[in-house]
Amino acid sequence: MAADATGGGGQAGPAAAEGNYRAASIAGAAAQSAGNGSDTTTGRGGVIHNIGYRRYDAIRLGRPAIVRALMWHSLRSAFGLRRGAKAKIFPSLLFAIMCLPAVVNAVALATHPGGSPIISYDSYVPSIRTVVMLIFVALEAPNVVSADLRNHTLPLYFARPIRRIDYPAAKLAAFVLACLLMVEIPVLILYLGNVSQVHGTHAVFEQTLQLGPGLLYGAAWAVLLASISLLLASSTGKRVFAICAIGIPLFFSWILANVLAHVGAQSFGPQAFGQPSALTSLAGLISPFTLLGGVLRWLQAPNPGPAAALQATTVGQYGALYGAVFVLLTVAAAGGLILRYRKVGVA
Amino acid sequence: MISPTMPPAGGRVADAPAAVIQAAALTKCYGTTVTALDALTITVGAGVTGLIGANGAGKSTLVKILLGLLEPTGGTASVLGRDCVTDGFAIRTLTGYMPEHDCLPPDVTATELVTHFGRMSGLPASAARERAADSLRHVGLYEERYRQIGTYSTGMRQRVKLAQALVGDPRLLLLDEPTNGLDPAGRTAMLELIARIGSEFGISILVASHLLGEIEQICDQVVAIDGGRLLRADTISSVTKASAVLLVEVDEGAELLQAELIRRGLTPAPFQRGLLVQLAGDETYDVIRDSVADLGLPLSRMEQRRHRIEELFRADPALAAVLPASQPTGASSGS
Repeated sequence: MAADATGGGGQAGPAAAEGNYRAASIAGAAAQSAGNGSDTTTGRGGVIHNIGYRRYDAIRLGRPAIVRALMWHSLRSAFGLRRGAKAKIFPSLLFAIMCLPAVVNAVALATHPGGSPIISYDSYVPSIRTVVMLIFVALEAPNVVSADLRNHTLPLYFARPIRRIDYPAAKLAAFVLACLLMVEIPVLILYLGNVSQVHGTHAVFEQTLQLGPGLLYGAAWAVLLASISLLLASSTGKRVFAICAIGIPLFFSWILANVLAHVGAQSFGPQAFGQPSALTSLAGLISPFTLLGGVLRWLQAPNPGPAAALQATTVGQYGALYGAVFVLLTVAAAGGLILRYRKVGVA
Repeated sequence: MISPTMPPAGGRVADAPAAVIQAAALTKCYGTTVTALDALTITVGAGVTGLIGANGAGKSTLVKILLGLLEPTGGTASVLGRDCVTDGFAIRTLTGYMPEHDCLPPDVTATELVTHFGRMSGLPASAARERAADSLRHVGLYEERYRQIGTYSTGMRQRVKLAQALVGDPRLLLLDEPTNGLDPAGRTAMLELIARIGSEFGISILVASHLLGEIEQICDQVVAIDGGRLLRADTISSVTKASAVLLVEVDEGAELLQAELIRRGLTPAPFQRGLLVQLAGDETYDVIRDSVADLGLPLSRMEQRRHRIEELFRADPALAAVLPASQPTGASSGS
């Protein structure tokens, strides 16, 4: 048998033997220095055509740097960078759609001086933001976590000097960051468009004051949507299933919340005059998107007037409940993600 | 931005502990029914060590405990002088792991993958790139390393798996069935590569395999486990001597040959269509040749067998003696 010919381990494997490679830096690790990789003297002076093994004795980064590296790696994969051109189509398209209102706003203000901006920093354009983010998290969260499940790459990660929690933490941080870029950059474009058309430091200061809460609210979107979608995506390694696992619940809960709010407003509205009905007020809790909308209304107007009762998904006196559910849901989703990877099989 | 926290895993580690791997009464139970490791006590020195056992013997469980990825139910284990339960983090800095199954994403190049896992091993970006190129060259991947892994053959993928284990300059490599799915030529090349890493690179290696015949070519020592228990731990020469077996196939008259061989003092055992004969030395070949010639039987095949581990235990009285009398060898409780 062929294997009988390979008794000794001393000679180099046929595939790896040839190729003269940076002779100067070779650590002369010749066959006779078995078990002693630090023998670096024998190669001096001569030209060695064998590929000697070089030890790595330079700096080794610690756990935080490894987690950071994993985070950047995952962030790139969320936007399809370092992957084929096809992977970049949807993220860039979605990003462009998301930015479109801000650009239109800037152009409109520039061409019609004196006009007042119609898009607010906090809610931006709720329908566009909802639809774009829904598609974005459904398409890209699977790229961040499902691929490693599908390809069984996790054992390679967990055999590295990181701890169990580091992997989901890095993935979560990366995807929160990805969602932040999607949500906040249009807001910043909006701000730039507005600021370029106002005059005087006071006006600029006023715009900046409004921008702050807008950015904070955008961060709430990123944190909530990223944690929920990553948790759902981590349930399966199959990309299509993961997309469905995210898209279907997010989409239908959003539809359901809106339908229930309208039903509540029409059938029970008149009875509780001046106050939105409980159904209308609570329907928004069903979907993350309406939940975020509710949080905004709670923070904006603690005491909504009668007019608010006619709008869908008003929060009524339940505003604090929206805030609490938002925090709970975010913590639960992030915690669930970490638990998920505590239990995942290593091989 | 860069925070140096760990000392380089340099030469000081290599000369500190005499035993690379130590386990004492190591036990791992999954639930209440499955015992993967049963009070396993082993000591593994430097060099290339074969960890042999049938599927389900507990090899992979042992490897995962050594990496600190699984917590043992009982007993202790240490790698390079560090405790596997409390110091798994440090162990993983010093250890490269090659899993048994396929674990590579198809849509990245080998260079990207190995570089990434170099960074995951704590190498700065530039060092990771450099060492990824080195590692891939060491395992024999040259220009094809810029191709996507999805286009690779099984042999090339195994090499990439080995390269990613090597990239962090480990002091110990844990290789789980590295020749899985390879054709004979691929197996030979992979084994030569492992032998070379062990001897020239000065990296200790634990190779888990169910093929003793394969392992014995490259190992300095062998640890055999079955049903989560130690069967035998020895240097390779003593195991090899005990394990050499000839498979003799005749087209007809196998019973006649068996009787004749017994008469001449050998211990043939029927196996499939032929006979397994303990190989005592070159004279065994002569005895078989003479027996076949005297009986006038049509000899179709005579070859030195590569054992699957169960066959070894069945055929080898020396190893059978190690087994508890009551326990049939093949019936391990693993999954």
